[in-house]
Amino acid sequence: MAPRGAPDRPPLEPTPRLDVTSARPTATNGTPLTAAVTASPSLAPSKPTGYWGRYRHALWLLTTRDLKVRYTTSALGYLWSIIDPLLMAAIYWVVFTFVFPHRGAGKEPYIVFMLIALLPWTWFSGNISDATRAFRQEAKLIRSVKIPRSIWVLRQICSKGIEFLISLPVIAFFALITLKAPVLETVVYLPLALVLQVVLTVGLNFIIAPLSVFLRDLERIVKLVTRLLFYAAPVLYSLRFGNPVLHFLYGLDPVVGFLELYRACFFPDVLDWLYVLQSAITSLILFAIGAVVFRRSVPRVLKEI
Amino acid sequence: MAAPVISVQDVGIRFKRNRQRSRSFKDLFADRERRAAPDTFWALRHVSFDVQPGEAIGVVGRNGQGKSTLLKLVAEVMLPDEGAVNVRRGVAPLIEITGGFVDDLSVRDNVYLSAGLHGKRKAQIDAEFDEIIEFAELKDFVNTPYKHLSSGMKVRAAFSVVSRMDEPILLVDEVLAVGDRAFRNKCYARIEQMLAEGRTLFFVSHNDGDLKRFCSRGLYLDKGALQFDGGIDEAFQRYTADYGK
Repeated sequence: MAPRGAPDRPPLEPTPRLDVTSARPTATNGTPLTAAVTASPSLAPSKPTGYWGRYRHALWLLTTRDLKVRYTTSALGYLWSIIDPLLMAAIYWVVFTFVFPHRGAGKEPYIVFMLIALLPWTWFSGNISDATRAFRQEAKLIRSVKIPRSIWVLRQICSKGIEFLISLPVIAFFALITLKAPVLETVVYLPLALVLQVVLTVGLNFIIAPLSVFLRDLERIVKLVTRLLFYAAPVLYSLRFGNPVLHFLYGLDPVVGFLELYRACFFPDVLDWLYVLQSAITSLILFAIGAVVFRRSVPRVLKEI
Repeated sequence: MAAPVISVQDVGIRFKRNRQRSRSFKDLFADRERRAAPDTFWALRHVSFDVQPGEAIGVVGRNGQGKSTLLKLVAEVMLPDEGAVNVRRGVAPLIEITGGFVDDLSVRDNVYLSAGLHGKRKAQIDAEFDEIIEFAELKDFVNTPYKHLSSGMKVRAAFSVVSRMDEPILLVDEVLAVGDRAFRNKCYARIEQMLAEGRTLFFVSHNDGDLKRFCSRGLYLDKGALQFDGGIDEAFQRYTADYGK
């Protein structure tokens, strides 16, 4: 592997060359200069941006590109980020308030109870299914530009994450009209919930994105699993298990932890720290696995696309 | 001799012959030695060479002998299975140059995106924007969605962005085959100007004239191996001797 920490950009010097055509100058006095510059490539002044600067720069460019494409190609633009969760919320609200009145599975006001978990879930499941296309979608660009490969996964998480953040006013709106105030002591857990979710999403996407280049079926499988997980996770309800074994097993589902943390912002008594701890551990394990899988599979991914 | 800007050491890369072959998860974790690879072939193997700053190198060979693969390895958009590729300077890759362009965005947005992905800051692009558009001859199409451009215009826009990069190494893969003659001549002039500034050129083409025009050193690739490394004319002689005209 090339040491590609900080790409240098030393000044360009004219160099002597064996000319076939006469179009180029054959400076003979350029030799000592060039030698001085190139003798110590690692000591040459690095670009002002540096490796992480470039990383962030490229990540930001691709994230904003995603959002730009999404918002400039549709007439309603930003509103779509709100309409989608609103419609979902309306459906579940009607179903679980009037058709099958929820008995103890949720809390009042149900619309806030559900939205605070539904919106993060939409971000999470959207990313998981996006990850199956992370490389294939950008094949041409990946073949022509050398930027750190993890950006292709992370930019999806960033753009979906920004969409999630700008859809949060929907919750504020319903909290206002139902007069449900967030609980100050637990709102401080919001960043923790975000961190947990991002760690889990990154880890899973690092596994799913490269594998789905080789296994096309993964796209279908992921779709099915996320649908199943939607009902298995505390999105529409919140469960308390009397049986400690069931309680433990349920907590192994890593989405439970961050969903309950989000929900605790309004409903502090749903919070179960065992779930949070379990999710944190599972997420970190998945993240570690993801990092290894990603690193090992990148050369093969680059050949395949 | 100065330190080489590109050094390729005993590089090998292999591909699957049958791309449809299903993979097992086990494969992915098996180590290098144990991984059974019955239907793979080496596209390149035991390839080694150094490139000094300011050299202009042309790669010669038949189709499917690894020319573009070698270029991609040097551009580091593909990673070798064996050996190491060291590129010690910034690279301007003119490979699939339209790849970074998004159909739904305007030419302006695309210029900023593409130049930005190649590591340019916004202020820098601001300063060069007019020149880029001028060179691409797209003054009246700055706000047109990229998908509405003709294919020639697309390549013009892309070449204009990538060729403005002031990286010391230039990698060119067949891009000049597209575009009309007037623009092609402009591209040649730009490449010649960049060479005169002392940049290093790594050029893959099927056009003998182009190669001889720009390059002084030739690499002849055949059967996945580097058969010859020397003067461009001699490289062509070897190629002609092997395959006739």
